[in-house]
Amino acid sequence: MPAKRVIPCLDVKDGRVVKGVRFLNLRDLGGPVELARRYDAEGADEVTFLDISASEEGRGTQEVWVRQVARELTIPFTVGGGVATPEDFTRLLRNGADKVAVNTAAVRNPSLVRQAADRVGSQCVVAAVDVKRDGNLGWRVFIKGGKEATELAALPWLQRLQELGAGELLLTSMDRDGTLEGFDLELLRAAARLEIPVIASGGAGTEAHFLEALEAGADAVLAATLFHEGTLPIPRLKRFLSARGQLMRLEEPCSL
Amino acid sequence: MITLLDYGAGNLASLEGALGKLGYAFQRAERPDLASPESLWVLPGDGHFGAAQRSLAASGWWAALGSRVALDLPTLGICVGLQLLAEGSEEAPEAPGLGVFPGRVRRLGPGVKVPHMGWSMAAQTRPHPAFQRDAPGWLYFVHSFALDLASSTVFSAEHGRAFTAVAAQGRVLGFQPHPEKSGAFGRNLLDQSLRWLGETPEVTA
Repeated sequence: MPAKRVIPCLDVKDGRVVKGVRFLNLRDLGGPVELARRYDAEGADEVTFLDISASEEGRGTQEVWVRQVARELTIPFTVGGGVATPEDFTRLLRNGADKVAVNTAAVRNPSLVRQAADRVGSQCVVAAVDVKRDGNLGWRVFIKGGKEATELAALPWLQRLQELGAGELLLTSMDRDGTLEGFDLELLRAAARLEIPVIASGGAGTEAHFLEALEAGADAVLAATLFHEGTLPIPRLKRFLSARGQLMRLEEPCSL
Repeated sequence: MITLLDYGAGNLASLEGALGKLGYAFQRAERPDLASPESLWVLPGDGHFGAAQRSLAASGWWAALGSRVALDLPTLGICVGLQLLAEGSEEAPEAPGLGVFPGRVRRLGPGVKVPHMGWSMAAQTRPHPAFQRDAPGWLYFVHSFALDLASSTVFSAEHGRAFTAVAAQGRVLGFQPHPEKSGAFGRNLLDQSLRWLGETPEVTA
């Protein structure tokens, strides 16, 4: 079995890393390259970038920073946000992304996942799914950055994504996101029955929360604020998880 | 000078970044007539074995690679690039392999998650002049198919079963993981491979 992965997530807008408090007051944290390099040196196992640019200008700068990140990082990275066509997958991969995450467009046009997997291989296709607990559906799938509810029940949708050729799932609990109260473990246990890897997202507040998520069957854990603000440094988290029996990649940081 | 085979399948940007950091000169070549036969050829590859093989055949690379490996000229395959250097793959039974590394490429599993995605420990299985260190280390893998252990295996890794992580046959090397995305350990293995294949960094990294 591969090591469990720790993945910091960076939101990018118009080529800058930003952090929002409840989607408002976006704050500039620096360039994608410098932050990615910092996480690489700290021992992050991957980095995920979600490009939240809505503007033409933001889209135009994307190729530039993706290319720069590819040249700098010694670890893999995923780019998502606004991915809508098979050409988007090819373009991002050609610019150096290792994986491409798709969310809203997969719900609107599920065959996109199949087309992308056929074109670039399942291993490059990450299906990002945002869910909220729901009395009728168990968990309900949301799209457009959590703004729009769908009629999809999450668990059958995850199964469908696997069948369509997604290579990995980035599963975010909107109920827990930003709460620092811990991951939705019941959701993770259900998703871990799938054959493809699951990245747990939403709710991390302490080291113990990450351990719970991995014990619930997640293959990787993702967080943003905790890492960005230095509340929980990645080396400390990885040592904690390793000491509690999780297989982690621990080595000297890359000095290149 | 290193030649990167640019046939539309492969993440060249990361590889270029790694080569640049390590101080090696390189160029992309879109057609075999643009590639110097004296240079080290690097064959990248992501995605489907059959699609990659067909694309290489259509662009003339396949014939050039066949002649090249028959002469034992320095060649390095990465990911599907390693698989293409084997005898063939279950992923595309109709497509030939270059046949440098003995054995066929088979699907991983059952009983483990496929694709095998993430960091796994790789350990050297036999001495090889390219590699100085024999301590196991973490390498980044993304693949659903793998070459069984065989006489050409130099490093092995495991995902459900043991498979070839690094293969060597004459002056042809292959990596199943992405050494350019595998932190310091991966870059060190890449650097050692390039040196053994006759390349010299122009600037000290």
